[in-house]
This record gives sequence, C-alpha cells and structure tokens, in this order.
Amino acid sequence: MLKRGPAKKVTIYINEDAQHHAQSLHDAIMTFLLNRGVAGATSTRAYAGFGSAHMLHTPKIEVLSQHLPLRIEFVETPERVEEVLPALYEMISDGLIEVQDTFVVKAARHSPKPQPKLPHQKKRGPAKLLRVFLGEADRWHGEPLYDAIVKKLRMLEIAGATVYRGILGYGAKGHEHRRTFFHPTRDLPVMISVIDSPDKIRDAAEAIEEMLDDGLIVISDVEMVRLLRAAAPTEDSHAAGNPS
Amino acid sequence: MQPAIPAKLLRIHISANDRWQGRPLYEAIVARCRELKIAGATVFRGLEGYGETATLHKHHLARPEDPILIVVVDHAEAIGRLMAEIEPMIDTGLLAVSPVEMIRVQKRAEGNAPAAR
Repeated sequence: MLKRGPAKKVTIYINEDAQHHAQSLHDAIMTFLLNRGVAGATSTRAYAGFGSAHMLHTPKIEVLSQHLPLRIEFVETPERVEEVLPALYEMISDGLIEVQDTFVVKAARHSPKPQPKLPHQKKRGPAKLLRVFLGEADRWHGEPLYDAIVKKLRMLEIAGATVYRGILGYGAKGHEHRRTFFHPTRDLPVMISVIDSPDKIRDAAEAIEEMLDDGLIVISDVEMVRLLRAAAPTEDSHAAGNPS
Repeated sequence: MQPAIPAKLLRIHISANDRWQGRPLYEAIVARCRELKIAGATVFRGLEGYGETATLHKHHLARPEDPILIVVVDHAEAIGRLMAEIEPMIDTGLLAVSPVEMIRVQKRAEGNAPAAR
C-alpha cells in the first residue's frame, strides 16, 4: 500500500478506440496495472479534446464524436513507476505519457471486514510531553483554535492529543478566564497535551507555534509506556518514517 | 521558530472544597500568582481522585469535592518564589515541579498594548 511521502503520478492520454493486440488499449493498460500490483488507477472519459492530429473531438457533432480521449492516472512510488513505465511505453503507440513528482498526503484504506483484534503491544521509552496553553475563544480561520490544532496534529501523524478545559486561569492575554453564574463566558482556559517521540514533538511545536497568536508551549521529558494493538495501519507508516 | 528557554512547571493538587480565608483555595492561589507577577496559571477540575486523606474526591451536588489541579509555568526563580508563598496556604495537598522547555508565543501583544505582566 502507498505511504505518506514523495511519489510519482503518471498520466496517460490515449484514444478511446485505440487497440492493443485485438483488445482495447484502455483495457490492456488497466489489466496490466492491476496485475503489476499498482496501488490504484483511475481512468476518466473526457468530454472533448484534441491531440497531435489537431482535430477537435467533441460529442456535439456526430462525425467528430469518435476517438474521444481517455485519461488514465495512477500514483505510485518512484521505484514502482520505473518498473511499469517501459511496458507502458511499448503499449502506447498513439498518445501521451507524463510523469509528475507528487506528494502523498494521505493514503487511507477502509477495509470492509472488521479486522481481527491483534495482540496488545507495549512500547516503552523516553518521549516528550508537549503542553499548549490557550483560550477557548481563540480562533483560527473561523474554527476554534484547539480544534484546528488537534486536526493539524492528526495530519502530522502525532500519536495522540487531549484537550482539557480549565475552570480558571490567566496568561498571555493578561485577562482572567473564568465563568460565574452572572457572567457566563465561553473563554475558559484550554490546555492541549501531546505525547510522542522527540522529533515528532519538534514538528508539532513548530506547527502549533505558527497557528498560535498568544499562548504558551511547554515541552518536558517523560517516560512513555504506550499500549497499542500491534500492526495498526498508522503504525506501519510510523515504522516507515523512522528507520530506527 | 523561537528558541525554547528552560523553565519550571509547577503542579498543585488540592481539593475543590479547600478554603483560604473564606474563598476557594484555588482562587486564592491564582490571585497570589497574579500578585507575584507569575506569567500564567490554569486551574483544572478533575473527575475523581484521592490523596492525603485517602478518601475519594468525587462530585457531590451540595458539597463539590472534586480534585483540583493548578498548572503554573514560569522561570525557575519565579516558581521558587511562588512555592514559598503558597506552601503555608495549603493544608493538605501536593506540589510537584518538573523542568520544561518553554516557548512563549505573543504575536498579537507585540502590536497592541504591552501585556499585563
């Protein structure tokens, strides 16, 4: 399965009616990619287009509605792309192959069958604990800042984060955060605590500092005992990211 | 990114029904922090806990007895000053200090009026 990180995107433009050994070229390419274990491929039918012959193919005029273009796209690791490209080069006699550098942000897979429960795994070792102090009313592009930070941390694949709401406090803004019966406020103090490996926490601190207007970030050393189900999908990508 | 500066994090564990001169102890401690110009303090209310007296602190409607945690972060010298001040205020409770790296973010305050600390 594809992992987060740099990858290549291949786009192939062919004619709808192109043939390859008595079979449609489109089918041949798709079965070839499937058999070679490419992570995924999508082919789309175009509405209109023109190619090297400079003839506009459009469904508006019946005589021109043949030879409509098809586009096949797939994203794979650079090695895998190198592997399949020579064969694709041979197959396509009329069309275009293009390769782009890309970055996979998320490659998630929802398995239809419930996964069997895996045995518990214990991870023990030194880690960092990061605490962020902010206000409940702080906002970031229209959404609550604590929400935005937690979402961002998830995207950075940080192991976990917990948001706490305080009942009283003061800090960077100088005003007191509190709620009384006569003065209901939505600006109580909020603390987010995050625990992960030191390099992950460094990434997290950098990202949070960018988003925070007024507040405090505190990092301390902790001893972590992490209990998890072995071989969870996120763990695979962690292992890939940290060669240690 | 700003450089992280070494600081201390102080945690004070008390009970919600602890009192100091008629007002809740946690309020008194936060007020004392402000007097001492400590950078900030945050009070959290726990769900359940136990401590010195080994009785379970739980929420009762009439007599809230929830565990209270106060977190204070500042330079080592300020934390030392604060601890000396609040130790006499606490009857039973716990103070825990740990070394931390601190990054203060104050983008908005730079342009506006100086912060109140």
